[in-house]
Amino acid sequence: MKLKLLALFVVFAALTPGMLHAQYLHPKVSGKEISIRNVVVLPARVEIVRQSMKGPEGMAAESDLLSVRVTQLIIEALAAKHVTASTNASTNASSISSDADTQKKYLLSDIQSRYDLLLPKIAKKPKDVKKARFSLGDEVLNLNLDKSTDAIIFVRGHGQKLTKGKKAFSLLTFSLDLPYLLLTIGMVDAHTGEVLVYANPVAITDATSQNEKSLRNAIEKSLKKLPVAP
Amino acid sequence: MNSFSGRQIIVAVLCFCLAVPVAMPASAARLPQQSPPATPPAGPKEEFKFARVDLDLLEQVNLVDRRFEREALVYGDEATNAYLQRVGESLLPRDLNLEHVLWKFRVLRDPVPNAFALPNGSVYVNTGLVSLLDNESQLAAILAHEITHVVRRHSYLQNRSTRKRFLTINIISAIAAWNPAGGAVGIAIGIIAAVSPFILISTIYGYSRDLEKEADLKGVDLMMSAEYPPEEMVKALKLLSNDIEGEQLKLFYNDHPQLRDRINYVSTYLGTKAEKTTAASELKREKNAYLTRIETLARHDIQLEINAARFRTAVHLSQRLTDFEPDSSENVFWLAESYRNLGPRSPELNEKQLTNSAKKDAAKKHARRTPEEEEQDLTATEAGQQNWKTNQAKSEELYLRSLKLNNPTPVAHRGLGMLYERIGRGKEAIDEYQKYLELVPDAVDRARIQRHLETLKRS
Repeated sequence: MKLKLLALFVVFAALTPGMLHAQYLHPKVSGKEISIRNVVVLPARVEIVRQSMKGPEGMAAESDLLSVRVTQLIIEALAAKHVTASTNASTNASSISSDADTQKKYLLSDIQSRYDLLLPKIAKKPKDVKKARFSLGDEVLNLNLDKSTDAIIFVRGHGQKLTKGKKAFSLLTFSLDLPYLLLTIGMVDAHTGEVLVYANPVAITDATSQNEKSLRNAIEKSLKKLPVAP
Repeated sequence: MNSFSGRQIIVAVLCFCLAVPVAMPASAARLPQQSPPATPPAGPKEEFKFARVDLDLLEQVNLVDRRFEREALVYGDEATNAYLQRVGESLLPRDLNLEHVLWKFRVLRDPVPNAFALPNGSVYVNTGLVSLLDNESQLAAILAHEITHVVRRHSYLQNRSTRKRFLTINIISAIAAWNPAGGAVGIAIGIIAAVSPFILISTIYGYSRDLEKEADLKGVDLMMSAEYPPEEMVKALKLLSNDIEGEQLKLFYNDHPQLRDRINYVSTYLGTKAEKTTAASELKREKNAYLTRIETLARHDIQLEINAARFRTAVHLSQRLTDFEPDSSENVFWLAESYRNLGPRSPELNEKQLTNSAKKDAAKKHARRTPEEEEQDLTATEAGQQNWKTNQAKSEELYLRSLKLNNPTPVAHRGLGMLYERIGRGKEAIDEYQKYLELVPDAVDRARIQRHLETLKRS
């Protein structure tokens, strides 16, 4: 019995890291046909909830802060690959807040929505990124990003943190209810809209805590296969 | 000090756990009396006492409002939002002063026909719903329904109720986890624990339906007070039940005809107020006046429908706009654009496609395939090819008509370019793209069109 349990544990431990930091590259990227040097990270949408004994409670303010932190961690992980990342969607982002340029705001919002429609299909068969199956279409060009921009990054995520009561409860019931943050990072060709890279890092941690080591590691590992920019 | 064996502890915990569900049904049975949907404690003139949980919810929804704005989901046209605000405010009961409520009526850029109210007084109606309605009275019906949710503090009541039910789910799970292996009681509890979330969810769902019913009926009263013909609420509900995209699925746990129920009980309620209905019907708003007000919004929504691959709805809405104003170049352009994007699909679903099983199949395929893959698969069929030929001819004819009308919209050249490019008429496509860029040199999609031009010229 003990041996069986041990074997199960070994199999689980062997499989888990791969599952937790899965990453899929478009053949053009893995074949180094194109290289990613400059990217624009669009505003991340990361939602986190507090799981209490009385169900999930929203954490809108914390989610906003976490979205910014996750974006920053992705930029840092990309910098290690010599990829220059900016959160400023070219001329658009600055004019969005100051000039109230409604049309440009809509464009950005619509591209985000377009990605959200495609995301469930990518998530269902992420391996198909390797077959160049997914594309947002060349409408991405309407964002009018700087010509040197190679890719646009979309970040989505959801997670939970547990209240003390919920932690005690999950221990009591062996329910393995853990705090986690599940992210998806999609890199889309800024000219053709093809999905070039898809990664889904998972951090089994309370993502709202100050200690971001686990989250940083998860993001770095998820971008491990991305070739270093020349 | 007494020492307990492990077995005694398990027995003690089990006794405690078994005692809880005995108490729970009683407390659960009392719930409707504590917050009964039909006679909620917080009517418009009664004071609603905010607990901490309510204030937490309020804080969250205020942030939701801000997020809608930040992510450009709120439709920014001031005239449309002012119009919505005027209609909404006309429905508010006089001298209504609700704590923590600031009334804001706004349009959300979402093609799905829907509306909702946040407990802080923010009422949102999607572009998809505003475009679908026929007149101001129907819009008033939607707003009156949402206002009632806010006035009666339904969100807070629902939130409190849901939290209580979540607690019962956790307790039942605990019993199942601590249950000694084997034993009939254990199996029963295990089944309840597995099934109870469903039971509880359906209870919550039912509870919501009661609140919905209250919102419908009180909404009728609000409409009559504001002298809107209340029968328009029934017509609005009928419009909502029109399944253009074949997406209204009946699942085994919600196979009750919700909209049909709503139409029935609102009609019955209206029957009891026949006199008032007749008097108010004199104030019925003109359909044309409404369409004039929402024309720009409807065009914006057609683009959103196309983006969301809701092509049939796009055709339906643009056809309505073209019927309303056939000499508008923009309206004809949007109809052409809708037919071009419809591709190998039929403009309307047939009876067979509207059966529940066909809709389930379609939903599965929709979840699996991208719109491009769906198009490829359809084009491989004879019916798909026939549809494509018909839609292509129709869109070409409409684009050309749009360009012949007064004040022709230059985007029709772009549309024609896209159509010609797709059917392999490269030279004509280049001409159309060039005309478009000449007429709109600072077009937001200039880079995209130039890329198409370069590709065509290379080939």
